[in-house]
Amino acid sequence: MKRLLVLVALAVIGVTLLYGIGKMPPMDSRASPDKTHVVPRYLGHGEEEAGAKNIITGVILNYRGYDTMGEVSVIFSALCAVIAILDREKKGRSRSGVDASRVRTSLIVTTVVRFSLPVVMLFAVYTMLHGEPSPGGGFQGGAIVGASIILFTIVFGLAVSTKRIPPGARVPMESVNMLGFLSMGFIGLAFGVQFLTYILPGLGVAAAETVRKLMLDVIELGIGIGGGIIFISIVFSMIREDRYELQQDVP
Amino acid sequence: MAEVVRNVLVAALCCSGIVFFLGGTVGLLRCPDLYARLHPSTKCDTLGACSVILALIILSGFSMVVLKLLAVTFFLMLSSAVCGHAIGRSAFKSGVVPWHKPGVEPLPPMEVEEP
Repeated sequence: MKRLLVLVALAVIGVTLLYGIGKMPPMDSRASPDKTHVVPRYLGHGEEEAGAKNIITGVILNYRGYDTMGEVSVIFSALCAVIAILDREKKGRSRSGVDASRVRTSLIVTTVVRFSLPVVMLFAVYTMLHGEPSPGGGFQGGAIVGASIILFTIVFGLAVSTKRIPPGARVPMESVNMLGFLSMGFIGLAFGVQFLTYILPGLGVAAAETVRKLMLDVIELGIGIGGGIIFISIVFSMIREDRYELQQDVP
Repeated sequence: MAEVVRNVLVAALCCSGIVFFLGGTVGLLRCPDLYARLHPSTKCDTLGACSVILALIILSGFSMVVLKLLAVTFFLMLSSAVCGHAIGRSAFKSGVVPWHKPGVEPLPPMEVEEP
């Protein structure tokens, strides 16, 4: 009986979906709504409406600001779920694979990682701040930040990593992406316009333009730093073995 | 004349890049063990990708993009070589035995002094 019900439900949903697909305009058709309405609007008016030279940033932060805010909260709730299940790493209980490994980390690897990490960080900041005029943005920059710190942790171990990024500094920064986005959104409300409006009334044209650029940069930086810290925290709370000891020979 | 020389250079570099990529792929699929596979597959990034990028630099002429491409080449060289080193070293030190021909006595494991 139950199986029959499942079968009927699947059949109903399937037929509905197939019917919907049948009514869709064919692929590459010039008459489909995204070609007639969305694309011309974004490409024709994106720069002055959204205020970013890079049309993708304009779409992400302005036309679909609510959607991006949802994505940011998804990353944040992923961290919440990981910590709810795995708990944070604890001093005295955890150490990473490199600390437990019998093979000592090679001098070549540590040297190259120490040499290239500042360059990677610099590139991450460049990616975050350049999201507005060129390809890049907060999400990508955050991924680069997270990956570089994860590489450092793999090579030098969790103990050194925790010493460099103490949890007291890391944990409050995890919510920076949500807070940055929301505060920039509420600035619009404070000026009496809609949530997530970047063009504030009551300022001069030039001042409003500068403020808009600054707000976009704050959002990008918030997404980047917060996202990177969230990746780091997720990986740190997954690193879990028996004991926590400082190695003698780490720099 | 300069145009011809440039095009020939670009084509030669591109072809050598493709040869290295092909060799790397075939080696990755056909070689018997980790150490043997590591050897061709690291050549893909260092020699293959770098010669293709060098060809692009010559083709585009000098501009800001060339500096970015040179940086990409530098870090590609660095990361690929170091990755190969790290994988091979940790495999050897954790006791992965190199492949040997059936019926042939394998080389005795090397004793490596820790620095």
